[in-house]
Amino acid sequence: MTKRYDGFTLDSISFDVPKGCIMGFIGQNGAGKTTTIRSLLHITDIDSGEIRLLGLDHIKDETAIKKRIAVVFDELPFHDVFNAKDMARIFEGMYPEWDNTVYQQYLERFQLPKKKKIGQFSKGMKMKLQIACALSHNAELLVMDEATTGLDPVVRDEILHIFMEYLQNGERSILMSSHITSDLEKIADMVTFIDKGKILLTGYKDEIIESHGILKCDKERIAEIDAEDIVSIRLNNFGAEVMVQDRENASYKYRDCVIDPASLDDIMLYYVHRDVKEWS
Amino acid sequence: MKLYTSLIYRELKLTRKRFLLMLILFLLLAALMLTPIMLGGFSAPAEGEDAPVEMILLFVGTVALTGGFLAGTNNGLQKADISTGWKRYSFVLPTTAKQQALSDLLVKLMLILLFGLLSTAFAMIYSVTANYNAFGLMLNIYLGAVCAVMLIDVAYSYIIMFAKTKKDLGILGVVAFLGAGLIIKIVDLFSSGTNLLNDNNLAEQPAEGGALISDAAFNRFVTALSSGKTTLCIVIAFAVLCALFFLVMWRSHERREP
Repeated sequence: MTKRYDGFTLDSISFDVPKGCIMGFIGQNGAGKTTTIRSLLHITDIDSGEIRLLGLDHIKDETAIKKRIAVVFDELPFHDVFNAKDMARIFEGMYPEWDNTVYQQYLERFQLPKKKKIGQFSKGMKMKLQIACALSHNAELLVMDEATTGLDPVVRDEILHIFMEYLQNGERSILMSSHITSDLEKIADMVTFIDKGKILLTGYKDEIIESHGILKCDKERIAEIDAEDIVSIRLNNFGAEVMVQDRENASYKYRDCVIDPASLDDIMLYYVHRDVKEWS
Repeated sequence: MKLYTSLIYRELKLTRKRFLLMLILFLLLAALMLTPIMLGGFSAPAEGEDAPVEMILLFVGTVALTGGFLAGTNNGLQKADISTGWKRYSFVLPTTAKQQALSDLLVKLMLILLFGLLSTAFAMIYSVTANYNAFGLMLNIYLGAVCAVMLIDVAYSYIIMFAKTKKDLGILGVVAFLGAGLIIKIVDLFSSGTNLLNDNNLAEQPAEGGALISDAAFNRFVTALSSGKTTLCIVIAFAVLCALFFLVMWRSHERREP
């Protein structure tokens, strides 16, 4: 799909989220994560292309799709005057598969008060409430836009644990956008990396991490490395760190260099600087 | 049905404070307008005497007018939904734009019905006391006020539809306010060129005792205001405005972000 704004374009992006998978959607702020999510949820119209959710067209079959998906935004979109009980009353009429027992279980698990006004909730409580609502109608696809951003590590860990549980029946999938790669490193099966409106990488997380590596060498040796092996080069006082996209191949070609494993954070960082090639 | 119960519950819960305030205001005004009866200053006319139509028009008319304004006015939900992010969230819910618009209309109609019933109850008190049928008068004034306010609400809601964030609301709120003002001005210009009674002689008829309008002209005004024809015109206008309101709300719920 393509979506054009003045000064920004989501340029023919394409990726798949297989059933039973957690797809991490990563990229720096302004890379196009939120625009992609808004496009696939039909919050905004796309200029060209096609989006299919659960095998259905995202516009033609919108109502059918939305009964089977759940969405969690970075900020709670519920009015402050409501309480958790009110939200159940609102959603039970909207979702045919709304399950009040499951909802109550989540409220108890998250220790959320049922009658306290949402306006008096902390940020963590608000996010937990949004997640409790999202997980209580047996959604097959859970879409989250920066849902863990701004939460403390304890709450984040608790929430990530819930998501893992949610996927256990193998029929559900999660698309989770975040710029906190450590969260995705923990739970994602697959990763899609977007930058400046373009998909740079998409695939299984372990394969991506395994295929990439950071080659350490002197600055003088940079010229000996094939340009096609390099994502970008980070220069420092002691030499250069080169991100290579085929670690195995690089370890044969540059036997006298050390190649360290790369984290998702590293991969994101080096890909972001791919256009300048050398950075510090 | 369950879906509409949910949607209506949400709207009523969110607007209940505003509604209670309006109800208290209305009841206070109604109580004030009942003081002549309670203090014994207003009673049924003696045999052969005419009912004090001026007083009935003043009291029943004021209450009906206020009730109509309160019932037809914008409930502020559209703005609140944009500012909390619910509007954006509503796009990911399985409710269609048409269902949401219908629920908006139903809530408005419920309010109109409630204030209509209260105004009718008030008119009944005066009708019984003065032995004069004031229902037609009340209904026309009430629905007329509802129509006037709904027309402004439709214009306001249409402009607010373009706001997506809290920031937009500030600018578009002012534009919507000016737009609604413009509608009033246009209606005012239109109505100043038309006479309610369509009687050119009315203004020329002399009034006695320094009154602005003669008894005959006043009676004709009241007769026209209470007539079935006026009711029919107002009911048609009301139906058209309900349809317009539904269409604007439908478009508003359907409109995606740029």
